Amino acid sequence: MVDLNLLLQGFGTVLYGYNLIALVLGSFFGIIIGAIPGLTATMGIALLVPFTFGMTPITGIVMLLGIYTGAIYGGGIASILIKTPGTPAAAATVFDGYPMAQKGQAGKAIGIATISSGVGGTFTAICLAFFAPILAKFALRFSAPEYFALACFGLSVTITLSGRSPVKGFISGALGLLISMVGLDPMGGFQRFTFGFPELTGGLSFVPMLIGLFALSEGFRQVEVVLTAPRVSAILKNIIPTAKDLKQCVPAYIRACFIGLIVGITPAIGADTAAFLSYAETKRASKHPEKFGTGVPEGVAAAQCGENASTGGDVLPMITLGIPGDAATAVLMGALTIHNLQPGPMLFLNHPEVVHQIFSGMIAANVIFVILGLLFARFFAQVINIDRKYLVPLIFICCLVGSYAINNVMYDLVTCAVFGFIGYMMLRYDFPVAPMVLAQILGGMMESNFRRSLAMSQGDIMIFLTRPITVVILVLAAFTTIMAIRRQRQALKMEEALGRQKADSR
Amino acid sequence: MKKADISTAIFLLLVCGYVFYEAGSWPRLPDLGDPAWIPRGVAACLLVASLILLVRALRGRALMLPSRLEGKDRSRVLWVAAITMGYVVGMNYLGFIASTVPYLTGFGIALGERRWMRLVLFALVVPLTIYLVFEATLKVPLPRGLVR
Repeated sequence: MVDLNLLLQGFGTVLYGYNLIALVLGSFFGIIIGAIPGLTATMGIALLVPFTFGMTPITGIVMLLGIYTGAIYGGGIASILIKTPGTPAAAATVFDGYPMAQKGQAGKAIGIATISSGVGGTFTAICLAFFAPILAKFALRFSAPEYFALACFGLSVTITLSGRSPVKGFISGALGLLISMVGLDPMGGFQRFTFGFPELTGGLSFVPMLIGLFALSEGFRQVEVVLTAPRVSAILKNIIPTAKDLKQCVPAYIRACFIGLIVGITPAIGADTAAFLSYAETKRASKHPEKFGTGVPEGVAAAQCGENASTGGDVLPMITLGIPGDAATAVLMGALTIHNLQPGPMLFLNHPEVVHQIFSGMIAANVIFVILGLLFARFFAQVINIDRKYLVPLIFICCLVGSYAINNVMYDLVTCAVFGFIGYMMLRYDFPVAPMVLAQILGGMMESNFRRSLAMSQGDIMIFLTRPITVVILVLAAFTTIMAIRRQRQALKMEEALGRQKADSR
Repeated sequence: MKKADISTAIFLLLVCGYVFYEAGSWPRLPDLGDPAWIPRGVAACLLVASLILLVRALRGRALMLPSRLEGKDRSRVLWVAAITMGYVVGMNYLGFIASTVPYLTGFGIALGERRWMRLVLFALVVPLTIYLVFEATLKVPLPRGLVR
């Protein structure tokens, strides 16, 4: 169970001095990144990881948590004002947010979106604080075979991040696994796939690669659309919602909080699914479902609440098992590792105070972005109008300089630039990038625990089929993979059918 | 997309072949299992996926690209990629500030900025600000090169 004393001490730590400044700055930049269409929460975290190097671990981590939660919320601002989601997760906010803006209620929509996001995010952050220690305690029973199975389960998640093509997602994941093997063999110490370059002996630099694949690649995509970015012209009034507005959203909050929590914990489904499911359920349960889509506050409330409610659930498997649930938590995990904090059950054992500071930071981040969102709503609305001709070069510079700043070696700069272009080409030709990164993180865990397991059993492969927890996790992995492939096939069939309908109607 | 899928599949088949070849040359460690199992297993799965991709592309079932990159958009992306690589090489010799100023200027021109005063100001202010943030505040040194 959560140690309430440690949790309160955690609040005392994160809400004081540089930690508080980092949290506020992180939330502020996170909202800005989320508000600008094309910039994602994952990109924001990847971009700002190098800036945390000079900070203490907890200061750096709370800053990144601020960016994460702020960016997820910030996506709703663009959804409401320009009918373009700032982040993929904010797509459901468009349905009622933009019609509210068209009716002159843009300020009210943003106010409701802000508070709704805060309610959802805070609820699941509190749940994280209570459930994570229980899961971590259970995970202490794990040995090498269980960790191998967990890595396989995490890899099965990568299939669900495959976008339109499971085959391309699988290829991306397999390449990530091969990339994780570059360097020294973990048990034998001999060189693998280094091509004679001494720089590759230690493997490919993970954070520069991460920044290149997630942030620089998106920068290249922004170069494509720099001349056609939409602009905001709405005037924001009455941003702070009334008690009556909030009261009518309470049923939506209750549904969205639980849906977001369950979706967040479930690997393979992210904030966008949480938002859509929350919206759909709220509409279904409403006395006037026909009004949804015309600009009802409950529609905005459900989508935003569900979206941010998934963040706590997404962090749960990452911090307790060391298995990132999505791309954003993969980057967060990379950041934790850089600060010498290895996520997993041992973190709870060796650094319980740090874990509770992370919980407190997550709860505080959700409150702080609400305050910032309400106070600076008009500023964030104008951020969407930043001239991309200056924003895009700034993104490139931050990516490249940030990569160099990690180890002060030019090799990292080259890694970032090369993987930035590779990531862009992958996105252009429909190869998802997230599976490659997730596989790179989990590949080492999978391989070393596979070989340790075989060493434990003197080479008997049945060790993976005779341990109950291992079998359950492997079955879950297989089930997740099959369900994900089925879901994507159905989505593709629907896409093809819609395409045929459109062609027939011309 | 068909050509891209075919080229990618062929490249991946070559990668698989290389992985199989190199993994065979690694020393087998007593009591620690064959180190080639996992890499070869991954390469085998990659081989199957690449063959599926190749066959689908050859049968005309490659997915359509969401959008095509043509004309000025394509030139802009290629130009930015080229100057970025030039910047990465140049920073090693010229240092951060001396390489970033012309990089940002070239980048702005590539994106169509023609307000020269604004562009020059941007190209000067940004590197100086980043230099101050990293060197003075975060105590993280940046490449020096000519400017010390």
